[in-house]
Amino acid sequence: MKKFELSRRGFLASGVAVGTLGLAGAYPFGARAQGTELLRLRLDGDNQILDPGYMIGGTEVEAQKQCLPFLAQYTRDGDTFGWEPTYYVTKLEQRDPTHIDFELTEGLIWSNGYGPLMASDVKYSYERMKGTDWGGYFEALDHVEVTGDRTGTIVLNKPFAPFFMVTLCHGPGAILCEKATEDAGGKFTTKFPAICGPYTYEQIPGQRTTFALNPEWTGPKPGFDTVTLQVITEVKAAELAYEAGELDCTELGADTMARYAAAMPPNSSLTTAGELQYMWMGMNTEHPKLQNKQVRQAIQHAVDVESILAGAYSGTTTKSNGIVCPGLIGHRDATKSYSYDPEKARELMDASGVTGLTLTLRTLNNQERMLTSQIIQANLAVIGITVEIQPLDSGPFWEMGSESAGDTWQDLQLWTMRFAGTPDPYEAAQWFVSSQVGIWNWERWTDPEYDRLFDAGLAESDPEKRNEIYLKMQDIMEETGAYVWINHEPEAYVHGADIQISSAPSGELDYRRFQRI
Amino acid sequence: MIAYLTKRLGLSVAVVFLVVLMLFSLLQMIPGDPATVALGPRATPEAIARYAEKMHLDEPVWRQFAIYAGNAATGDLGIDVFTERPVTAIILERIGFTLALIFAAMGWAMLLGIPLGCLAAVKPNTWVDRITGVLSVGTIAVPSFLVSIWAILIFAVNLRWLPAIGAGEPGNLTDQFTHLILPAFAVGLSWVGYLARMVRASMLEVMGETYIRSARAFGLTQRRIVFGYALRVAILPTITLIGMGFGGLISAAVFAEIIFARPGLGKLIFDSVMARNFPIVQGGVLVATTLYLGVVLFSDLLIAWIDPRVRDSL
Repeated sequence: MKKFELSRRGFLASGVAVGTLGLAGAYPFGARAQGTELLRLRLDGDNQILDPGYMIGGTEVEAQKQCLPFLAQYTRDGDTFGWEPTYYVTKLEQRDPTHIDFELTEGLIWSNGYGPLMASDVKYSYERMKGTDWGGYFEALDHVEVTGDRTGTIVLNKPFAPFFMVTLCHGPGAILCEKATEDAGGKFTTKFPAICGPYTYEQIPGQRTTFALNPEWTGPKPGFDTVTLQVITEVKAAELAYEAGELDCTELGADTMARYAAAMPPNSSLTTAGELQYMWMGMNTEHPKLQNKQVRQAIQHAVDVESILAGAYSGTTTKSNGIVCPGLIGHRDATKSYSYDPEKARELMDASGVTGLTLTLRTLNNQERMLTSQIIQANLAVIGITVEIQPLDSGPFWEMGSESAGDTWQDLQLWTMRFAGTPDPYEAAQWFVSSQVGIWNWERWTDPEYDRLFDAGLAESDPEKRNEIYLKMQDIMEETGAYVWINHEPEAYVHGADIQISSAPSGELDYRRFQRI
Repeated sequence: MIAYLTKRLGLSVAVVFLVVLMLFSLLQMIPGDPATVALGPRATPEAIARYAEKMHLDEPVWRQFAIYAGNAATGDLGIDVFTERPVTAIILERIGFTLALIFAAMGWAMLLGIPLGCLAAVKPNTWVDRITGVLSVGTIAVPSFLVSIWAILIFAVNLRWLPAIGAGEPGNLTDQFTHLILPAFAVGLSWVGYLARMVRASMLEVMGETYIRSARAFGLTQRRIVFGYALRVAILPTITLIGMGFGGLISAAVFAEIIFARPGLGKLIFDSVMARNFPIVQGGVLVATTLYLGVVLFSDLLIAWIDPRVRDSL
């Protein structure tokens, strides 16, 4: 066996090799991609189902917007959201409350030899959606009439005010190539059967997704030739990557937003997409410990939401007064039936006759939710309620109120909850109708007036009347005593100061509309 | 040696079988319908029925286990819930990144830790020994996730010498190597300390043996005694430590892969747990266990090859 010998010469040679290796590391990897047309973004996980009918949502919608046609897209004017026709149509008009006429732009081609974009593709895509996981968005669709190769009419079965904002502009409004989708077996997962958009799509699982210029695209050239999205699960890791100069734009957590508010990284800007998230603490009105409405109202009065905003969210979020988010029809400026008042809370507890109450508060186990829960725990201790916090990961959390997922819904007492939606009050209100008890209405109350108003809100096109309807619906929710409204978290992005980003109000980025400025 | 090899191999196969059984039993214990648990509350009845059929959930439990174990033995670890891709293919895409990280981390730790341990042992109770001791204990005490974050802050954010995230461009070895440096440093740092302490202790023991004294009496140089005789024996417990530590390295790699956004097996399992993608969790844990057992087996065989006395024990 050859013996190992450490000679002086060998030692010096090794030292030189190690030194060279060290110098190789001195290459400025963090240099921003200036002067190139490359845009580097973050993806919080692999896209798993690109099919609009069966997607999970979120970044899959972002991919669809780059590769598939849409009839409408979001616009923003200050804090107000609206819609406009996309490049894919030369006409998109609401003829009457149940008829929407459209004409597709000429010369748009599907990839893989599937020919031009046709009105029959619109008919196929929208009518197909009715039978999918996202069929709720197309409940109001009756059918699509094809009147020519590129013209047609969307026919609704009832007036549906949010159709443009929540259906056509959002992910479910993506149009598929009929022939390509059928050739792929009627549905698909991680590969588009055919694309018709400014970018092609390529995914390396666990690593990155790349959008490159589509050579067959005849529409307006996007601002960047290539967009790469690095899979970074943790938002903190993404923030560090941005600070290291490896990303051009990324989403921010609340504590980083507060830090950046004091000192932004060099050459950076902050953009808030919207505040379409609403968080509350829910109470199970059917649980024996919470059936007494005075107990629920005492809890409403005992929680100091301002402390939560300061302590858990570093003052970066807006206080919530209901489920309708800022900038939308039906947004409430104040609570109606409660405010933070520990004395009133004690009086209500005394009046209820309930003493020595112990409750369990279930929450997602992230930093903000845990801090929120701890502040609530301290607040309720003041009025003699002992709260045990039960942190959960996202799997068990998101099914704990669902009757189809087990018996946990029977044990639910208190929980912190956050929903996100599209920019119309219908989206937020739909989860609390009677038919949602045991599905998403975990508070388990029913109110015929709420159900009636929900239907009325869908059919009403007058903004003022709709506003009144959604205000009244939130009054009903609050008066059940089952809600403590907490906040509306913004979807905030930090990005290079030389880049103008484009996002949906609910936070999905639209890379084809990004521009270098 | 062949008898020893056969016995150790048989034991490893039995452990893998027990792990498969345990994993399968744990998943059976999760409350609720497995199809609903896996697909989530939004799943349609059709999707649930399709999943149940594909996963053989309509069969008796013992048969489900037999099918899973039989398929696993042939390398078929099932189908991903969401993308419907084979779990084996998904794991194969990722495992290389984890192995590269683990071997790079252990490699540099060995290159540094073993000489440091030798140095401390041949100069006991000197300032060299004391500095080595302080450094060793210091590196062992700092958790690898903390090292990861500090490494990013210093070398990627402030100095911008090295990349912070990802595994580098596919096909570009230089880029992949530079992306490996910080995670390997973070994962391997505590092992420098472990190895230095272990080698020092073993060397001190061996250096007191009579055959070392005899070697000195014959006039052999200190270098020859240390590297030619003492280290060959003193390295045996270190090999065992490395083998046993492989499981710990996989855990450290999970943190590093999350923090550095590396697409390895640990991150895959973590993401799959969060998404309740149980076929991948099951397959990933099984592969990680098999890897661990493989390394332990390899280290045991290596020791048995170096020291024939070990072959008689099991």
